[in-house]
Amino acid sequence: MSKVIEARGLTKVYPPSTKAVDGVSFTVDEGEIFGFLGPNGAGKTTTIKMLTTLASISEGSCEVAGYDVKTKQGEVRMCIGLVPQDAATDGDLTGMENLILSAKLYKVPDAIASRRANELLDLVGLKDSANRLARTYSGGMKKRLELITGLIHEPRILFLDEPTLGLDIQTRVAMWDYINGINRDSKVTIFLTTHYLEEADSLCRRVAIIDHGQIKALDSPSTLKASLGGDLLEIQLPEGPDISAKLSLMEGVCEVRRRGNVYSLRTANIEKSLQAISVGLWKLGLKMEDARLVRPSLDQVFLNVTGRSIRDSMVDSGDVVVARARAESARN
Amino acid sequence: MSETKELMVRDLKKWFRSPAWLFASLVQPILWLVLFGNAFNPTSMIPSFPGSEGVKTQILQSTFGGAPNYITFLAAGMLCFLVVTWAMWAGGPLVTDRSLGYLNKLLVAPISRTAITFSLLLSSILKGIVLSAILLVVALLLPGGLVFGGGFGAMDLLGVFAALTLLSVGFLWLFMMLSVRARRFETLAAIGSTLGLPLLFASSALLPVASMPGWLAAVAQVNPISKAADIIRYLIIQGSLGGAALSSVASDFAYLGAFAAICTILGIIMSNRGLRME
Repeated sequence: MSKVIEARGLTKVYPPSTKAVDGVSFTVDEGEIFGFLGPNGAGKTTTIKMLTTLASISEGSCEVAGYDVKTKQGEVRMCIGLVPQDAATDGDLTGMENLILSAKLYKVPDAIASRRANELLDLVGLKDSANRLARTYSGGMKKRLELITGLIHEPRILFLDEPTLGLDIQTRVAMWDYINGINRDSKVTIFLTTHYLEEADSLCRRVAIIDHGQIKALDSPSTLKASLGGDLLEIQLPEGPDISAKLSLMEGVCEVRRRGNVYSLRTANIEKSLQAISVGLWKLGLKMEDARLVRPSLDQVFLNVTGRSIRDSMVDSGDVVVARARAESARN
Repeated sequence: MSETKELMVRDLKKWFRSPAWLFASLVQPILWLVLFGNAFNPTSMIPSFPGSEGVKTQILQSTFGGAPNYITFLAAGMLCFLVVTWAMWAGGPLVTDRSLGYLNKLLVAPISRTAITFSLLLSSILKGIVLSAILLVVALLLPGGLVFGGGFGAMDLLGVFAALTLLSVGFLWLFMMLSVRARRFETLAAIGSTLGLPLLFASSALLPVASMPGWLAAVAQVNPISKAADIIRYLIIQGSLGGAALSSVASDFAYLGAFAAICTILGIIMSNRGLRME
């Protein structure tokens, strides 16, 4: 499969010495949805800015659509579409005018532009609102309009910076369907950033986990989850002394983490270990107050590679509430 | 070139779709002319006495360049002030686009960086011409208002708009350099509102330079607004120029042309620098 993005040691230093991105290397295959997953401030947007010619590259090199980003900016710009994190459309123009303006900036011939604009508006269910000013659109409609303005010139690679930031859960899930559909039908390669684990999980063929400007892990969501090596059993015990050491000696238990009186036990095979654990606890005179099996998730992968939960690293963000609600509803 | 046109059309559309802006831009010049024209009218300050009419005419003749009344003198200054004010706000959409994030969308498009600033420049010049034309018509309709000199013709009208355009190009680039750097609209508003009136008062727009104290006259004489106001005044009051008037207008035009050219060169360099990669 041909590579449409090849980044080698990409580094961005903002003066005087802030390293926003620190030696990032990865490749993106033609036609895939590739995700950068990480908390706010991890360097995701800065990476997108370097890939899309908005920010200069301090160190390293990068080819996008076969062109060197440092020297062939004009060529790169012709091949890419960007949907930035914040307003990518003009509220004082109608949906249709936004699309046509975007098409003209990319020198799409008028006839093709208007046919494509109609198709795209239809695709995301905005046909009836095409002639309304974009500022009257709901949050979800705006995001859909932004998504299709990035596609009007049929780019080879579409960059989506936090495509569902600030949307409610139903709208977010609908956006995933649109993004998946676009990738499937038009074969456009999609590079997206997100701090929503579920988003990376449900959209991306491959995910790079980025933290403090560095890639901590890169693979398909399922391989990443498999790399955790087994299942996780969370048990709640009565208040008492730390028994982590005793738990870790039980049969089949590979690793123990403790938060208060809740213990997370990583086991190679939960069916085999469960009995040993319950017998072991019975011998200690302890009774499980609660127990549940946690299926491997990208959240655990994130915890595993960075040492902290992605939600804990975003306590300042208002989105954390949405992310948590979503994660909880998915778990229950 | 086509992208410059598209972005200019976008800016004009936004202007038309913003009723408050459109209303303000139509009413403001009219208010200026009516209020300044009546409140500052120096000839009305002369008390009535036998022969006072003759004194008024004499003052108008000697100090106000032969204008038949104050509004005729003032109209030229107000036209200049109008286009300078528009020039100050021309970069506003750029600041807004930057703070909303739309600018990134433009910067990743395969368009030249100058298209972004040029489009705003052209739309501001167009707005300035439309509003100046309205102001001229209103000045003509006012009681005791603008009176064109006998020789005033189409070429003179063209000269009026040429002077206004050169003046506005200069100020447009000066303020564009600021707009590409400003991260907040407030920065632009603060500087614009601080400089606007002083620029007007330190020029021959409202009153003749001859009536000013030396230090102020020195400033007014180099102020491009004075040059444009003087040109327009000559054309309006006297029309079809010849002799000394012609050479004075020609040298003022050269001054304005140099002002516009220098600001354009500086402006293109500085604003492209302001739009380059992070």
